[in-house]
Amino acid sequence: MGPVPRTLELFYDVLSPYSWFGFEVLCRYKNIWNINLQLRPTLIAGIMKDSGNKPPALLPRKAQYLRNDIRLLRQHVQVPMQFPKDFFSVILEKGSLSAMRFLTAVNMEHPEMLEKVSRELWMRVWSRDEDISEPQSILAAAEKAGMSTEQAQVLLEEMSTPKVKNKLKETTEAACKYGAFGLPVTVAHLDGQTHMLFGSDRMELLAHLLGKLQVHGELPLTPVPPPFISRPEGQIQSKKKKKFYAFPTMKPHTQRFSGLNGEKSPSPS
Amino acid sequence: MGPVPRTLELFYDVLSPYSWFGFEVLCRYKNIWNINLQLRPTLIAGIMKDSGNKPPALLPRKAQYLRNDIRLLRQHVQVPMQFPKDFFSVILEKGSLSAMRFLTAVNMEHPEMLEKVSRELWMRVWSRAAEKAGMSTEQAQVLLEEMSTPKVKNKLKETTEAACKYGAFGLPVTVAHLDGQTHMLFGSDRMELLAHLLGEKWMGPVPPAINAKL
Repeated sequence: MGPVPRTLELFYDVLSPYSWFGFEVLCRYKNIWNINLQLRPTLIAGIMKDSGNKPPALLPRKAQYLRNDIRLLRQHVQVPMQFPKDFFSVILEKGSLSAMRFLTAVNMEHPEMLEKVSRELWMRVWSRDEDISEPQSILAAAEKAGMSTEQAQVLLEEMSTPKVKNKLKETTEAACKYGAFGLPVTVAHLDGQTHMLFGSDRMELLAHLLGKLQVHGELPLTPVPPPFISRPEGQIQSKKKKKFYAFPTMKPHTQRFSGLNGEKSPSPS
Repeated sequence: MGPVPRTLELFYDVLSPYSWFGFEVLCRYKNIWNINLQLRPTLIAGIMKDSGNKPPALLPRKAQYLRNDIRLLRQHVQVPMQFPKDFFSVILEKGSLSAMRFLTAVNMEHPEMLEKVSRELWMRVWSRAAEKAGMSTEQAQVLLEEMSTPKVKNKLKETTEAACKYGAFGLPVTVAHLDGQTHMLFGSDRMELLAHLLGEKWMGPVPPAINAKL
């Protein structure tokens, strides 16, 4: 038997674009590194309130910077992110309470579905500019992730129970206890020590802490690790169709992003 | 003759620890990548004022995070950074106006010394060990006098305004001029993205110095 996998907790909210970047990178590495990735649906609004911090987009220059940063990073990290047209309405007015309660319920009842349902919610709000606050919207995301309508309906009802509400509260408090003032937060448990890393731009440092880095190695350090490039059945799809954004090569792992070829979600936006 | 080196401007302040990380990484890569690195001494207090932002350390959880982040990064980036004992006094009360005016004067009169003197100042603020930068007493004296002239004061102001015009709300800011486009990158944690934009190879924060010119 090999060495025990190290536990990584990822605290995230689908309202947070950088959470999506961090989530995708860790999902890609979870089968490469010797880690046990635990996804923790969290409420970013709760983190802000508890820490006294404010969403960066409230400062005009940070809002402008965010737009550009996301535009550049989506290419580099290969995540089909698009700024919602009415950004402030989405982030500050609608929020993500229902979505994160739903994911909390998913995590309690069908944890094996959590990754896919989370991704579908991000695809709605941060790729197709679709609603995630209405029950029908959440249902559509769950179904797209492969859940049956019945399963999803049960979870929609569970969402409003004290059990689920409290669980989301607890997870948010746990993140705060680790010192969070924003999301994503990655907590690495290594050799009796706990390291809290904020942001999607601490993955290289995380690799260093895990002892995974070959500092002068052959492989370039990348948010798009090699096994996903060299999968035998993967095709270079850019030759066949114009993608969401034109790249010289679309890597096979982007197949996990539904609706990339312009398919519209059937539910109301 | 090879392709024209791409210009990178690095706006930095020695009061800013992340500026030091960014500075060291770019100095390591300047002889590996096909770039022309232009160091731009800037006043972070001016950036904060102009953008309406606040130093992150003013939020307690960010201050705590900063300490840990720096402790981990200094190992990974290999820069001998230490949190000053009286951190708030250093950052918020003393500030860096004189130091950045001095560096502005160095940049105007002895630009070839700018890298070393900047590093020396960071070492003084952010590291226990301080080395001499190799500047003669006479040179340093002249610059100390020049520091308070309108010429130098204005130059620092202009550089700070240039950073603000690029959209800065903090430091370090790296501005890459590529194929007629300008990309402003904030933070010392955008170097891998910078490599991607330059089409250069990223080899981590401590690349092998195989092509380094002595």
